[in-house]
Amino acid sequence: MKREWNTKVDLLLAGLSVIVFLGALGMVFFYAPREATLGEVQRIFYFHVASAWVGFFGFFVTFLGGALYLMQGQRRWDILALASAEIGLTFITMTLLTGMLWAKPAWGVYWTWEPRLTISAVQWLLYLAYVMLRSSVSAAGSGPEREARFAAVYGIVAFTTVPLSWFAIRWWRTIHPQVFSASGMAITPKMLTTLLISLAAFTVLYGTLLRARMQLEHERDHLAALRCERDEED
Amino acid sequence: MIEVRNLSKTFGPHTALTGVNLCVAAGEWVTLAGPNGAGKTTLLRLLATLSRPTSGDLRLCGLDSRTQSNAIRQQLGFLSHRTLLYDDLTAAQNLAFYARAYGQPDGPARIAALLEQFQLTTRQHDLVATYSRGMQQRLALARALLHRPRLLLLDEPYTGLDPLACDALTQLLVELHAGGCTLLLTTHTLESHALGQRAVILRKGRVIHDAPLKDRAAFPTLYRQLLEQKSVPPDLPFATCDLPPAVCSLPPAACGLPLAVWAIVAKDLAAEWHTREIFSAMAVFAALTLLIFSFALDLRGAVARAAAPGVLWCAIAFAGTLGLSRSLAREQQTGGMEGLLLAPLNRVALYFGKALGNLLLMLALQAVLLPLATVLFDVPLLQGALLPIFFAGTLGYAAVGTLLAAIAVNTRAREVLLPILLLPLVTPLLIATVRATGGLLDGLAWAEIAAWWQLLVVYDLVMVAVAMLTFGFVVEE
Repeated sequence: MKREWNTKVDLLLAGLSVIVFLGALGMVFFYAPREATLGEVQRIFYFHVASAWVGFFGFFVTFLGGALYLMQGQRRWDILALASAEIGLTFITMTLLTGMLWAKPAWGVYWTWEPRLTISAVQWLLYLAYVMLRSSVSAAGSGPEREARFAAVYGIVAFTTVPLSWFAIRWWRTIHPQVFSASGMAITPKMLTTLLISLAAFTVLYGTLLRARMQLEHERDHLAALRCERDEED
Repeated sequence: MIEVRNLSKTFGPHTALTGVNLCVAAGEWVTLAGPNGAGKTTLLRLLATLSRPTSGDLRLCGLDSRTQSNAIRQQLGFLSHRTLLYDDLTAAQNLAFYARAYGQPDGPARIAALLEQFQLTTRQHDLVATYSRGMQQRLALARALLHRPRLLLLDEPYTGLDPLACDALTQLLVELHAGGCTLLLTTHTLESHALGQRAVILRKGRVIHDAPLKDRAAFPTLYRQLLEQKSVPPDLPFATCDLPPAVCSLPPAACGLPLAVWAIVAKDLAAEWHTREIFSAMAVFAALTLLIFSFALDLRGAVARAAAPGVLWCAIAFAGTLGLSRSLAREQQTGGMEGLLLAPLNRVALYFGKALGNLLLMLALQAVLLPLATVLFDVPLLQGALLPIFFAGTLGYAAVGTLLAAIAVNTRAREVLLPILLLPLVTPLLIATVRATGGLLDGLAWAEIAAWWQLLVVYDLVMVAVAMLTFGFVVEE
């Protein structure tokens, strides 16, 4: 019964992701106006901002999952943290790539130590370190609980440094265009609507991927338990 | 003395112990037998508070293992597979450290008596690394008995000992038992050694036999018969002890936080004094980094002045990572960290002790590095105004680095993983220290670098707080 319900939710989420994503693509290419200075390349902005949002949100969920794991010791929180970190890493990678593609025509270089690119790079390194840590603890045979605890601690420490890194990098140098500023927004209402739809599409996609990745991890646990039972019977 | 009810321990999908019930009265001598992988060591580690049960209740000396673990630690001695001694310290220094950790008021006299009892007086000032296996085992026993425990847990104590040493150990156990000490020892071989009064057999994480040892000669046969049975017998129910329960008065509190921190720092500095391996490696590596940057970038004049803070902090960070890694690896080598966890020390004290030791090493490194950088880059780095920046930067680095080194040391890629974990985390710290150092070298007033200084202070406070709260999760099993 529960399995059937899960399958229905999965299908619903996958269908919703496809619909919202296609809608967002349509709006990015056919609804949003062409930006006067940068032209068509500006459209990458809708993917760049949305993937960055999901990346940051994913990191927050990893932090939350880690903290809850340390408090309650329940495997489901560790699975949430792991799944969110892996998906976050994917989206932050997309943020970096789209940022570089945008930077070349805009600034003439693929990479510059601009605050938002730099913080994305730092965050990408943190996510990568998180994933490498889990893999290295697992390979050392320290046990799944230890892997979960180490990862939770790292996820918490890493998340707490993000705002500090943000201030440090921002004070260091700033040349990024201010999309949102105190005086108002530098984008038209149509652009804003497209951006919001993109954000929604990426968030739904994140939710779908998160659920699928968590289910995969639950299945792995189930398989490991069956193997263990078999070994003990032998 | 020991009350175990429905105790279970799992490691992921693997179940190490299931529904274990065990009651040991004060003054009993119990042998815990079972084949490899039966769960003996897991049970002993749970009793020693080195590991937390997945479910079930565990009380020692009437104290709850979840809430009164430090009071329990004061009452028990544990002899592990590993010696839990520091190879880089002498026998006397090892015992002095544990005497401080257990808050022993008569430390020197007790140490002298134990060294005499275990025939180690003449070698007491030699490094433990130079001891034979038998001598190390004797010293490990002295460590376990240092604080006069009421309960002694011994995990395969006869392993690796020659027949004479085995006899001596049996004699010692008999004496301890006669003196009222409760003994629980594990074994998977049942030949010739002391078996105590009662035998408990574990198989596949379950207690399958628990009875007094009436006929010791027949026990090996019974043991083999029980293990050869195809089906595992049902779990034995919890039985109350026949003997009166132990009435343990709560021991005096172990040493307070400052003394505990000092004990760990003094131990680390003494080990470093003997080997000088961490400091020399850090100093040479940092000097090489400075030289390579200076040579490769051909830094001169104004360019050198502008680059000096960045290059200097890179050298400090790289060498610091090297030192942090080694400092925690030293704890892991012979189970030193396990020894620390066994002692009735607050986990916060463990963190501060390790972090302070690392901080002192990194500050000593800077004392060597700054004159060299002054000469190489021709910048006035030897000025008092820079000291707070260097101190705050190093404090933050040692604070977060100690926590991550404790994680990295338990991973497979321990040598390379620490910088991967640490360097992205210290981004704000490195930016702030480099900018503040550069600002002061350029003659800016403190008010003009206030933002960097404040960022450093906030970073230090946040990292110390987070590391302090999470260190226990990292070091405990």
